[in-house]
Amino acid sequence: MSKSSALSRRSFLKTSASGLVAASTVGRAGAALAADPIHFATWSAAVDTVKSHIAGFEAKTGLKVDYSNTPWAQFRETMITKFVGGAPIDTLWVSDSWLPEWAEAGWIKPVDQYKALTAYNDDVDKFCVDSMSYQGKQYGITYYTDFMGFIYNEDMLKKAGLSAPPTTWAEVIDQAKTIKSKGLAEYPLLVPMAQETWLIEFISALVFSHGGRLVDDKGNAVMQEGGAAQALNLLVDAVQKHKVVSPSCVETGELAALKSFSAGQHAFGLIPKYRLRTLNDPKQSQVAGHAKIALMPKGEKGSHATVGWMRFYGMTPRAQADATRAANTVKLMEWFGGKADGEYRFQKLLFKDVGAGFGVKSLFKDPEMRAAYAAYGDVDLIGKQQGLALKKDVVTPWFGEWNDVNGSAWQQAILGKVTPDQALKNSAAKWTSLKKQG
Amino acid sequence: MTAITSLPRRAARFGGPTYDERNALVLIAPLATVLFAVAVFPILYSFYISLYGLKLTRPHRVPFVGLENYVTVLTDPQFWEAVGRTAAFSVMSVAAVAVIALLAALLLNEEFPGRRVLSAVLLVPWAIPYVANALMWKWIYDSNYGALNGLLYQLDFINSYMVWLGDADKTLALIANAFVWKEVPLAVILLLVGLKTIPADLYAAAKVDGANALQRFLHVTLPALKSSFALVIVYETMMAIRHFDLFFILTEGGPGDASHVVAWRIYVETFRNLNFGLGAAMSYILALATLALAYAVIRALAQRI
Repeated sequence: MSKSSALSRRSFLKTSASGLVAASTVGRAGAALAADPIHFATWSAAVDTVKSHIAGFEAKTGLKVDYSNTPWAQFRETMITKFVGGAPIDTLWVSDSWLPEWAEAGWIKPVDQYKALTAYNDDVDKFCVDSMSYQGKQYGITYYTDFMGFIYNEDMLKKAGLSAPPTTWAEVIDQAKTIKSKGLAEYPLLVPMAQETWLIEFISALVFSHGGRLVDDKGNAVMQEGGAAQALNLLVDAVQKHKVVSPSCVETGELAALKSFSAGQHAFGLIPKYRLRTLNDPKQSQVAGHAKIALMPKGEKGSHATVGWMRFYGMTPRAQADATRAANTVKLMEWFGGKADGEYRFQKLLFKDVGAGFGVKSLFKDPEMRAAYAAYGDVDLIGKQQGLALKKDVVTPWFGEWNDVNGSAWQQAILGKVTPDQALKNSAAKWTSLKKQG
Repeated sequence: MTAITSLPRRAARFGGPTYDERNALVLIAPLATVLFAVAVFPILYSFYISLYGLKLTRPHRVPFVGLENYVTVLTDPQFWEAVGRTAAFSVMSVAAVAVIALLAALLLNEEFPGRRVLSAVLLVPWAIPYVANALMWKWIYDSNYGALNGLLYQLDFINSYMVWLGDADKTLALIANAFVWKEVPLAVILLLVGLKTIPADLYAAAKVDGANALQRFLHVTLPALKSSFALVIVYETMMAIRHFDLFFILTEGGPGDASHVVAWRIYVETFRNLNFGLGAAMSYILALATLALAYAVIRALAQRI
């Protein structure tokens, strides 16, 4: 009995193993026979819009696209794991923050040789091309771009007797104190400073508008002096001395800030420009119709500069290894980042769908886009502010590692645990140390 | 019966595995293989990784560095600051869990109306997943719309909403509070089991000797609970030292570096900086330290039991 059951188990195992091998062989053969698709990876944004645009591409070209998406929060780590593991990816969305890291590792390749992609450079803002470039080479074509906006609640300003939004940071503090003294808002100025991916954009906007830099053109830390120091001192004073910014700013992230501003709790806020649409949507915001954008206030020796950011379509070495695959991938990248059937269709769809900004200058003149923008924002002012946007100056292979330390340093200064001077020195020291390691 | 039949077979095969033993090996092999693949191999492989400068963002440069990663970690002042925070968090958490669980266990050991309902309610936090628990406390502590501010404001304890998690001086204690809320039920069960094993005769004898309630607690209950306490302290200490979920969801290590505990640093080093070599070394140091601590606690308590 025992023996026969053992034999039966043995034959079961043999049969199962044979079945698995056979299934695997047939599967592989099937995959080999099918046309190899273009592998396209994105984070999970505007998924339906992406899918419909892919469908249009497949119908027009007859090529197949294997589309996958991953949540934004895990995208970088997931993609790196896939790169290291040799997973098939031909083109993907890339954040400007990751460009040096990925380019140095050889996970994405320059696209300068593909004129179909670089031909669009003349029609996009300079910071867009700058943000897609590393060591003189261009690594993609625009997906979406935006900048940090200075948003104000027009209704609250009127109630406070203020006729115009501030143009300098000194005026911001003065107006905020007026609003606070009249009991219209406890913390009139909103500056989200939670340790999250957005933090560097908030910091950069403050620093650039004060005429400062975090890093100079040679890649040396200059964050401990000039405009950067003025920006941090302004913020520390706003929290500790003037009490116009809540100390809870260190736990307020971008999304929480949006909700807080939507609830009518603030007069001024640093908020990504594309959120203007949500802020003026009566279904989502209590300040709908009153959220306006102004040029970024300038510091004592600063300008109306702000920070801009880019997300773009990057191309992998796998795609470039084969001429046909490269040509097909370029077609897909152009279909999304450039023109599709003679117009910037995807950029328009994306703008209408989620309000995502575009770096294409000619779209600011497009009547359809102007009309859409006019429903909630001053399109000319938005275009002007975008033209003053600068790329982040800290984007390097060691950016992520430094970013955690820098964010922590700014938070400690805001909380009064260290002086602004010491916080910036600590941040600069970390930068210098990481730069030496390379 | 099995022993009788297998002995001759073993003898006949000159000490080799019997038919039944072979069958047992075949049956155990799949599970053993899976365990090796998902437990033993990763543990060994992570030690191997800790000897290399493996950073995923530098895939073409993976030098063998020997124990350098361990030296880097142990000579990093920020690591020792994180050790200090981990120790502070663990001490306050474990002490609070032990005291609250003891009081609750003593209460539930008495007969009173509603005891069963109370016992069931007490288990609720234990049934809530760690991440859900963390999200719940994030809402409670929120400085703009949190329940804690709402409650204190309604009761006139505060004049305006307080910043809780954003206050570096309060952060660790607040996270410990959320940890204690989740961990107390299990500790109560462990202590309650211990209480149930104390013979009633001991209390009767103590009463005859004229011992009052406090003396009975100090001289009968507490000594009898030592082994249960040892279990609670060792388990909760291990949980507190390696705890990550609350730090990730409530503060992400902030504000500033106020909640940079060792587990958080391991996460940042490994999964944000993708520095697997250094992260693995840090993990090994944490694991060995936890093991040594648990051993010391068990030994110390075992000598007194």
